[in-house]
Amino acid sequence: MMGGQAMDSELEQRARALLVGSAENLPGAVRSRLTQARHAALAVRQARRRHQLQRWLPASALAAAALALLVVFIPHGQHTSATAVNPLIGNVAGVDEIELLSSGMPLNADQDVDNDFYEWAVDAANGANGAVHATATNASGT
Amino acid sequence: MRDTEDGAHALEVFLASVERKAFRIAQIALRHEADALDVVQDAMLQLSARYSARPAAEWKPLFYRILENRIRDVQRRRSVRNRVMAMMPWRSGEDDEPAPDPIAEAVDTGPSPVTLLESDEILRALEKAVAALPNRQREAFLLRNFEGLDVAQTAQAMKCSEGSVKTHYFRAVQALRTKLGDLRA
Repeated sequence: MMGGQAMDSELEQRARALLVGSAENLPGAVRSRLTQARHAALAVRQARRRHQLQRWLPASALAAAALALLVVFIPHGQHTSATAVNPLIGNVAGVDEIELLSSGMPLNADQDVDNDFYEWAVDAANGANGAVHATATNASGT
Repeated sequence: MRDTEDGAHALEVFLASVERKAFRIAQIALRHEADALDVVQDAMLQLSARYSARPAAEWKPLFYRILENRIRDVQRRRSVRNRVMAMMPWRSGEDDEPAPDPIAEAVDTGPSPVTLLESDEILRALEKAVAALPNRQREAFLLRNFEGLDVAQTAQAMKCSEGSVKTHYFRAVQALRTKLGDLRA
């Protein structure tokens, strides 16, 4: 068993030496072809990387542009919030008020109106006028 | 930008470190130089295009997995072509590529210190014996013995368990020992 292993080991060593020697002493034409193949492989790698860059460049540019737009417009957007002062309509608190103003409806249209009070006031006014008128008529009659 | 340059440099260093062994692995499996070069180039391109963003520690198992897949694709195509050609006896030999000549295909090892000690015949015998192994045994032997991957990396490259790697490797070594003895000149 040991002898078999030793023989195998010698065989392996001699085989390795033979094969390595043959690889180190390849003909010039073969070495040249291998060098060309290596350069071609490296060129493929570079071309592939360039292609990937070109493929991602438009998307990256678009993303950068979108980011720039956000940076520019976000502060402006905050100024137009509900607490902003509009130079045209003064200090109006919010978009709701602007809509209310621009809707054309009376401002108190949605408020409860005490119609009884107004009717009484009209009646009271008419009643007072009537009393004054009667007094005046009586005075002229006498 | 700096990361990209560093990544490219790391990838270049990695590819340079594996390309020769990868070529030899493909050449032994396919027994054809041009096919082996094509397979290595495909593996390099695929790793570079798809997996270069992965951590560098994962590159080696990934690269060899791609390489083995490409080797099997070529072997499968050859097998289909051979079957089709076998059904068309009138076309046999017309458009076929000439069968690879093992002598012409043998790597010119040159006068290096290692190869001076080893004969071409032994190298050719080793290549032939490794090429004759079942695919999984060949993969396990070349990745473990030649490329120097550890068991875990080899299992990752072969997409199997570490136990299977050990089994395939052991059987490969046993088969080579039966064919080649102890590889002495």
